[in-house]
Amino acid sequence: MKGAKIIIQKELTRVFKDKKLVFSLFVLPAVMMIGIYSLIGFLIGNMEDDVEQHISQVYVQNAPEGFDALVKESGYGETAQIEYLEAGEDTAAIQDSIRDGDAELLIVFEEDFLEKIAAYQSAGDAIPEVAIYYTTSGNYSTVARDNLEAAVLSNYEKLRLGERIGNLEQLTVFNRSYADLVDENKMGGEVLGMMLPYLITFMLFVGAMSLGVDAITGEKERGTMASMLLTPVKRQEIVLGKLVSLSILSSISAVVYAVSMIAAMPIMLKSVAGDAELPFSIEFSAVQVIQLIVIMLAMVYLYVALVSLVAVLARTAKEANTYVSPIYIIVLVAGMLTMYQGGIEKSLASYAIPIYGNAIAIQNLLLGELTLVQFGLSVGGTVLAALILTACITKAFNSEKVMFNA
Amino acid sequence: MIEVKNLTKIYKLNKKQMAEQKTKDSIKKAVDNVTLTAKEGEIYGLLGPNGAGKTTTLRCVATLLKPTEGSVSVCGYDTVEQPDKVRESISFLTNEIKLDPQFSPKYMFNFFGRLRGIDQKTIDERREELFDYFGIHAFEDKKIEELSTGMKQKAAIAVSLVHDPKVVIFDEPTNGLDIVTARGVTDYLKILKERGKLVIVSTHIMSEAEKLCDRIGIIINGRKAAEGTLDEILAQTGASDLEDAFFEYYKQYHKEV
Repeated sequence: MKGAKIIIQKELTRVFKDKKLVFSLFVLPAVMMIGIYSLIGFLIGNMEDDVEQHISQVYVQNAPEGFDALVKESGYGETAQIEYLEAGEDTAAIQDSIRDGDAELLIVFEEDFLEKIAAYQSAGDAIPEVAIYYTTSGNYSTVARDNLEAAVLSNYEKLRLGERIGNLEQLTVFNRSYADLVDENKMGGEVLGMMLPYLITFMLFVGAMSLGVDAITGEKERGTMASMLLTPVKRQEIVLGKLVSLSILSSISAVVYAVSMIAAMPIMLKSVAGDAELPFSIEFSAVQVIQLIVIMLAMVYLYVALVSLVAVLARTAKEANTYVSPIYIIVLVAGMLTMYQGGIEKSLASYAIPIYGNAIAIQNLLLGELTLVQFGLSVGGTVLAALILTACITKAFNSEKVMFNA
Repeated sequence: MIEVKNLTKIYKLNKKQMAEQKTKDSIKKAVDNVTLTAKEGEIYGLLGPNGAGKTTTLRCVATLLKPTEGSVSVCGYDTVEQPDKVRESISFLTNEIKLDPQFSPKYMFNFFGRLRGIDQKTIDERREELFDYFGIHAFEDKKIEELSTGMKQKAAIAVSLVHDPKVVIFDEPTNGLDIVTARGVTDYLKILKERGKLVIVSTHIMSEAEKLCDRIGIIINGRKAAEGTLDEILAQTGASDLEDAFFEYYKQYHKEV
């Protein structure tokens, strides 16, 4: 054990004494994460502002009496430039310009619109039509349409309906009232539960990936591994020293990612949602925190073992990186699966599947629904897989073919 | 004492290696039935052209490779049965084995000392002595990647001797060194010999072997061509110097393949 300890110390010294390495491993990701999220938030916010401030070009043909007055009253005219067309004018050119994005909306009322409404007597009589031309490409046209329907058209409909039946309240037989009894913890948990397992699984892997290849294949390539193999220290201890130091470093790197992510998320949401209340209220019990840490440690161990095995078998760092990439993709997919499988009931056995089982366990944990059996299976399955990998790594360390290319 | 008995080492080559070495055989006999003996208090020189099997033989002695056939024992311990015991008593230095470039010679010295379970006081004493002798103090805190080839080699030699080993195996120790540094290294090998250590060096520099080695083993094409003192070898071949003697053996053994 003493040998492993000395190796761990050396590995950690190697990273922390190197200012450039510390910067690129721990500082840069945090800065980038916050920067990217702020930028995304800023851009989305900007886009929404732009849509709100855009003045739409709207054409109205055969506008019935009172329509113009309602437009002015509703304030719709402030966000739209309205042009009234006479009956019989050809609208093909206008439809084209809507298609091209030069105009937003064309409303065509049927001729003799009011007369037809007034002439209605009983079922089967003709009902006049309002044709609305718009495009779903781009944001401006649909927003212009929705605003017009909400602010003008539905009010105009009520006005005419009132004329026909007198008292509009006759149409209402009861009122509804709503009360949302959501548990804010659970809601916050759902938001986080969708994102975090995914983020955690791949962030942990990224840390292990960048460090593991250098610490093992790099050492093999540089010829520094052999000097260690010449000492009487047991191969198992060298492997243990490598795995533990890599686990420590990837955990730190994962924490950096996670913290910067959590710090960046509100920045992003704030620029999108303005001053609206954020749905981030989540409280963990001590047990949940411990469970989360245990699951993450098991995952770190597995990832480090996985990367290390690849790293020890590869002859060059380039080769190692090539082999690690497909594993990275598998990890990404496993994490992503949990994002889109929210409601599906999972069998108990699936918790024992490494990576995937961890991701769904973290998801349940954030919802406060993780049972002790699920927790045990998730950690047990992962640790077992990691132990098997560790045995393979030790075997590889003992192989002259692997270590000396002989 | 080192006893190499009927050592044979066969490498299995993959397709890429076969292409690299321009051979159609999927196996390569790097060392073929070699028997050597080296004793305490002598400098033993392993002589041979590049690719003759010197490094493979030394790697087998240093426990890094396992013999395909035959056996190697160092200080009475078999390299396969008790590799840990062998590793405790040897120092092995080759061009391919290097020190971590991101650390200083001082750090590496302490690291390997501690890894070998030596107490800090002894490590400090050993470091003073070796760093003094090789003049490493001036750059002991510099990163190894910033050092010159000669400085690196000096540091590597010092670090490899941290545990005061009984057996010192140096594969081409003066390779790439300037004449002054090379002399410093060979002089230190003589000091080690005087202290009763067994020193094995491999080299293809005949003049160096002539001056330095008490006994010489010649390996050609993986097979032992001769073993003995310089005088014995010269007498056997009737040559006037080691280089001529070597070529006598070379003609004889190279033809047979």
